[in-house]
Amino acid sequence: MRFKAQLKNTSVFYKLTASLSSLGKICWMRLEHDVVRFTIIPEQGTQVWSQIPVETIFDEESYALQSNSDGINIEVNISILNRALRSAMGATHAQLRLTKKDKYPLLALTVLTTEWTEGNMALATDKSVQSDTTTGEVIGGRRARDRETRITQEIPIKILHEGTVEDLHEPHCPDPDVHIILPGLAQLKSISDRFTKIAASDAKGGQMGVVAADGASTATGSGAAALSASSAPKLELSANMHGKLRLSISTDDLKIASSWSGLVNPPLDPGHLNRDEYSQLPSERMREVGDDDESGWARVRIDAKDWGRVLSVGRLSPKVVACFINDMALVLYVYLPGSWNGEESCLTYYINSFTT
Amino acid sequence: MTSLAFTLDPDAIVRFHDIFICLAKFSDTVALEAEPDLLRLSALNSTKTAFASFVCDREEFFQKYDFSVSRSNGYSFHGQGGDRFYCQILLKALLSVFRGKVDRGKETAIEACHVELHEDYHQTQCRLNIRMDCAMGVIKSYKLTYEPAAIQHAIFDPSSTTSKWSADPRYLKQIVDHFSASAEQLDLYGDDEQAVFTSFTKKITDGDELLKNPIHTSVAATKADFEEFSVEDNMHITINLKDFKAVVFHAETGMATITAQYTRPCKPIQLAYKIPGIKAEFTLMTRGEADPDDTPSSSRATMPQLSRRTAAPVSTTAQASTTDASFRAMTENTPMPPPPPRNRPLRPLHGSSTQDRLSRNSPTNRPSASAASESMEFDSLFVSQDDDRWDEMITNEEPQDILGWDATGQTPLEGTLRDAEPDFPKPKRRRNQTAEDDLGIPPNATHITGSRHGSL
Repeated sequence: MRFKAQLKNTSVFYKLTASLSSLGKICWMRLEHDVVRFTIIPEQGTQVWSQIPVETIFDEESYALQSNSDGINIEVNISILNRALRSAMGATHAQLRLTKKDKYPLLALTVLTTEWTEGNMALATDKSVQSDTTTGEVIGGRRARDRETRITQEIPIKILHEGTVEDLHEPHCPDPDVHIILPGLAQLKSISDRFTKIAASDAKGGQMGVVAADGASTATGSGAAALSASSAPKLELSANMHGKLRLSISTDDLKIASSWSGLVNPPLDPGHLNRDEYSQLPSERMREVGDDDESGWARVRIDAKDWGRVLSVGRLSPKVVACFINDMALVLYVYLPGSWNGEESCLTYYINSFTT
Repeated sequence: MTSLAFTLDPDAIVRFHDIFICLAKFSDTVALEAEPDLLRLSALNSTKTAFASFVCDREEFFQKYDFSVSRSNGYSFHGQGGDRFYCQILLKALLSVFRGKVDRGKETAIEACHVELHEDYHQTQCRLNIRMDCAMGVIKSYKLTYEPAAIQHAIFDPSSTTSKWSADPRYLKQIVDHFSASAEQLDLYGDDEQAVFTSFTKKITDGDELLKNPIHTSVAATKADFEEFSVEDNMHITINLKDFKAVVFHAETGMATITAQYTRPCKPIQLAYKIPGIKAEFTLMTRGEADPDDTPSSSRATMPQLSRRTAAPVSTTAQASTTDASFRAMTENTPMPPPPPRNRPLRPLHGSSTQDRLSRNSPTNRPSASAASESMEFDSLFVSQDDDRWDEMITNEEPQDILGWDATGQTPLEGTLRDAEPDFPKPKRRRNQTAEDDLGIPPNATHITGSRHGSL
């Protein structure tokens, strides 16, 4: 079992791992010959299954993989990997390889930087201004020389056997009722966060009222109930097949909503479907419902905090297609910008809908 | 009767605050020692393995500095010996007084800060008065309580050291930036060409916990990037990474070149630098593989080998023996993570004190150096990646949860003077850290200060 590769596009890899680490700590990373898969299945909350072509994050020439099965399965703490990759940002040379130390497997990241960031040794420059020219020249010589710093980050991992991962499957979902391209995630995130904050503070205010009104006997019970409700505000997200999206949150005292229109409902890939089957798709039937008819809307109720974590993928500036399965789930297909070698990088998020 | 009064200009106020931030990474309290020509601010950590000291020069640092001791017959409750005065103050109190007070250009800009201390043993309350003169004629006053203390200094003789290096703090910070925030130890050695800094943490060897193992980072820098690097090849010394970070971050505020001097593992290292008007010295105990020739065979091997003096007159302590039994007891309660294989445990810096009664109490009473402020400061200094706004927002932030410090307990102006934390969403970074490390100031902190307040 061997793996060794030079990194490229380290900022993409860095941001990718940063987004993934918001959903869970433990990541199943599968290295294959053409793609690298990152999967996070937290005990609670959103799952993400992603598939990144090798050349998106690694230099293809240097990508060396040897395994007696189709790939190498690794369990890694994704936030540690992310932290390590920070050292590779702006490096001239970065290599990731599978290795061992004291019998424990590791991913070793070796980074070579030949120049430190701008402003380094400015102190020396200040000095040279003050002191005589001889010192200045020496320092000048020092500045001009190539500085090389080698950084080694050793990331602890576990190797998973094929058998362990055999039973892990991507969730199956019914055909979506509505599919729509989401507006910019930065905007969506700031509005979602704002709503969540308002709802959380409102629920807290209400909770205090409850405790005060109920007196000592019932205060504990109702207080706890209010607390659990306030700690997990739910957002309602809905969309129709006429380019409209709505985000709302409601508590006992308030309801706020934000609406978008003029969004794109992308056509599905009709490859394996004939015209009749295609027109029978739930989304096509939803499309036939009038724009102003509420029955043409599919909605999901999602945990606001979890949603905030999902939206952290916005740092990669992706294109996101949201597939609504009414009252059941929201599936996001997140495509990274630019395609490398015609093959697109895709992250799939499976978000459960809560019942009312 | 002692009186101490000094005035700080806005620059010095900032420097003062920087010093307190740094000291807070070592201890909860700062020892304040006044002498006719200088003011020393120092802190010793709870395990007595790190000592930080800042000496502020009377002429250079202060706008005005008056110190006088008039001996009277009465017994002095507070530490007082010769012509010096010493006491200790809670850092949290000082930090909140000095925090963000110099908003240049703003209408509330502080023009000067006057600090006065009047010790009067006929009064039950002794206070350190701090008065901030702000623009528009606004005056803010604070009264802080102080405590008597046995003040100890680590002794370090730079002339006997054999290894020395010095470097730009920004250069060191770039090295430190590669280390995980949760890493505990820093190993340092040099070989032919390079200086190698390695951060590591105690390993977990259980199967399931394996992924919780901390990241192991090593940075090999070219020796030539140091202003000086004369260290015996392949001699490893290990210190606490957090201490080292505290030094680097503070030195960076003054752009001061750090000079490190040491002899060998298990002997202290001193990191020193000068900022105009301030002399900073950090004495840290190192661990590592001691030279076998140097290891005594008796059980005395673990005994302290350094002497220490107290702030009390030297004459009375010069003979104080380092083999004092009370100190042996003290060295025992120094729980440190297990050392790397074959290394000897980190020993505390040590010494003796004429006020054993006090010093014996202090290490146990003092909660360990506040992890809270530490991790907060580190976070703010460490990370400002452009994409932090993508991180999870923190919803349950209530302004009333933010710890304010009110030394008087009854200042009517309290509401308007309270220091509020800026309402940034904190970057969320999952690490292998305990919850407390991430939470900032522990919720019962107000409690602690409250009870201390009462005890005075």
